[in-house]
Amino acid sequence: MRAGPSQEEIRRHNLGALLRHVHLSGPTSRAELTNRMGLNRSTIMALTADLTAAGLVREELPRETGRAGRPSLVVRPESARVYVFAFDVGVDRMVAARVGLGGTILDRRETVRRRGVFSLEEIVGPLAAFARQMHRRTRPDTVCVGVAAAFAGGVGRDDGGIRFGPNMATLEDVPFAEEMTRRLAFGLPVTVGNDANLAALAEQTRGVGVGCRDLVYLHGDVGIGGGVIANGQLLGGHLGFGGEVGHMIVNPDKGRLCGCGSLGCLEAEVGERALLEAAGRFGPQVGRDAVRAVVDAADRGDVVAQAALSRVGDWLGLGVANLVNIFNPEMVVFGGMLREIYLGSAAQVRSRLALDALPPSREHLRLRTSALGDDATLVGAAELAFSQVLADPLEVLTRAGS
Amino acid sequence: MTPALELRGIDKSFGPVQVLHDVAFSAYAGEVTALVGDNGAGKSTLVKCVGGIHPIDSGEYFFDGRPVRIGSPRDAAELGIEIVYQDLALCDNLDIVQNMFLGREHRRGIVLDEDTMEAMAAKTLESLSVRTVKSIRQLVASLSGGQRQTVAIAKAVLWNSKVVILDEPTAALGVAQTAQVLELVRRLADQGLAVVLISHNMNDVFAVSDRIATLYLGRMAAQVKTSDVTHAQVVELITSGRSGDLGLTNGATV
Repeated sequence: MRAGPSQEEIRRHNLGALLRHVHLSGPTSRAELTNRMGLNRSTIMALTADLTAAGLVREELPRETGRAGRPSLVVRPESARVYVFAFDVGVDRMVAARVGLGGTILDRRETVRRRGVFSLEEIVGPLAAFARQMHRRTRPDTVCVGVAAAFAGGVGRDDGGIRFGPNMATLEDVPFAEEMTRRLAFGLPVTVGNDANLAALAEQTRGVGVGCRDLVYLHGDVGIGGGVIANGQLLGGHLGFGGEVGHMIVNPDKGRLCGCGSLGCLEAEVGERALLEAAGRFGPQVGRDAVRAVVDAADRGDVVAQAALSRVGDWLGLGVANLVNIFNPEMVVFGGMLREIYLGSAAQVRSRLALDALPPSREHLRLRTSALGDDATLVGAAELAFSQVLADPLEVLTRAGS
Repeated sequence: MTPALELRGIDKSFGPVQVLHDVAFSAYAGEVTALVGDNGAGKSTLVKCVGGIHPIDSGEYFFDGRPVRIGSPRDAAELGIEIVYQDLALCDNLDIVQNMFLGREHRRGIVLDEDTMEAMAAKTLESLSVRTVKSIRQLVASLSGGQRQTVAIAKAVLWNSKVVILDEPTAALGVAQTAQVLELVRRLADQGLAVVLISHNMNDVFAVSDRIATLYLGRMAAQVKTSDVTHAQVVELITSGRSGDLGLTNGATV
């Protein structure tokens, strides 16, 4: 049997916890940290001294507090010095960003992605080039402490390989994480997560779901992705492919064909193509703009667009009702293009919920739209990239600096 | 849970015309209560009674569970009840800060305390996660419809209000701005305010509300939880005053 954690482990844990506080809440006074972490003042002082010496945080006198007494020093993250690279690979776009500790986006590059079959090079090439451009523009005293990517597809937990991506037309395994790591050659492994899973975590740590331990996030891109957080933990499943709510089958008999090969997946009934076809607008214009145009037309009184939204809202409500019955979440968050679709069809969505969700589960359910908007997936990738330095600040910094 | 605002048995007539009959209405902290009804159902009159513009003929008015008497808009404002009317009542020739403090300016001695007012306005907009406004010293004339609505709402919450009533805040806005205003409405409630939303748009009502109160010909047909009703039921309540077990029977509230 093992004895309790060693002094060293406790210290490492506390350093990480303090850094996480400052990373998520922004500049925080020592007094406030003492309160929130439940540690005594001298411990907080020692921890901040260590983090300051490592160059992760900086202490400053606060501006006018308006109160009497000696003001408590404010601990702020060294956002300009300590950063990560975050990538977001969506169906229509690819984003690369340099994100400072504390979550500030310091620099970003974006490019349009052509839909359809892709080669690994078409994705890794531009992203690696963006990262190198941004890296060249950094000052010499800055340090990169992590690299992570969000990918619109099924990502294996062990190796960060892409195992499926119906909307990316991938059929075979793609060693994405491995290739990114090799091409960047930053000496840091690239971690990869499913985009909707990471967005779910982002909404829970920095978005509309802060403090919420049971949350279901639904992400509308071309398809529908999802992330389920139960009791504070993301449900990844055995190999990390869990949470694919877009492939929950809601209409097996008369359903539309899904990119995955099944009939009547939620994604096939609610996704971009379903909406555009129902609105009679499936054509050259696709993506977010096309979806917004349908919602806009419905708002102006176009009956075809209204009927299309109403139909899609009905299926969306059925999908959400199923999720609510299974997971009894405190909150369901609609992100990506589902934000517009939910706001434009909420009457249908909630009517379905009233009819099909179990009363005790739906009674206190909160339905919300994403607070991070289009950046939810990117923010999620950045948080994944920061996870190591937050777990063991000094060790990771030493390694990154060497 | 005690409602932040509760009315019981409100009657209101204008001369021989009775506009509100025995109306009950509650709004709770942390929730959005949608007030719906056909044109002429009495929504605006009810709101004006809440805000102290129209004195009520009879009925009880409770604020945080305490009976209160509201004789003027100032009484309502002192309790922390703010109403944002459709016309927004903003002055085009003044900037955002001046509008937010109009008639309630902070003074330092005999001069206006511009710094404090600017800081408070900025803090309020920040707390509402309003990022669409470039400068708070911008003239209101230069703002879009959605931004004006945002400023009017921020003005209402600046005064530590407890209850904020919004009259058709998304009317005449485009889709993108409607989405932003709806999210703002939801945020107000999530921050602990009691929000009353008057709207004709059922998607807006269902998107953000926790409860729906339906007025029908001057009577409260039903006050229901949004999670318990369907669109069709609410439309029935609006147009006929009843739906299944819900609503009025023979002209009286069940």
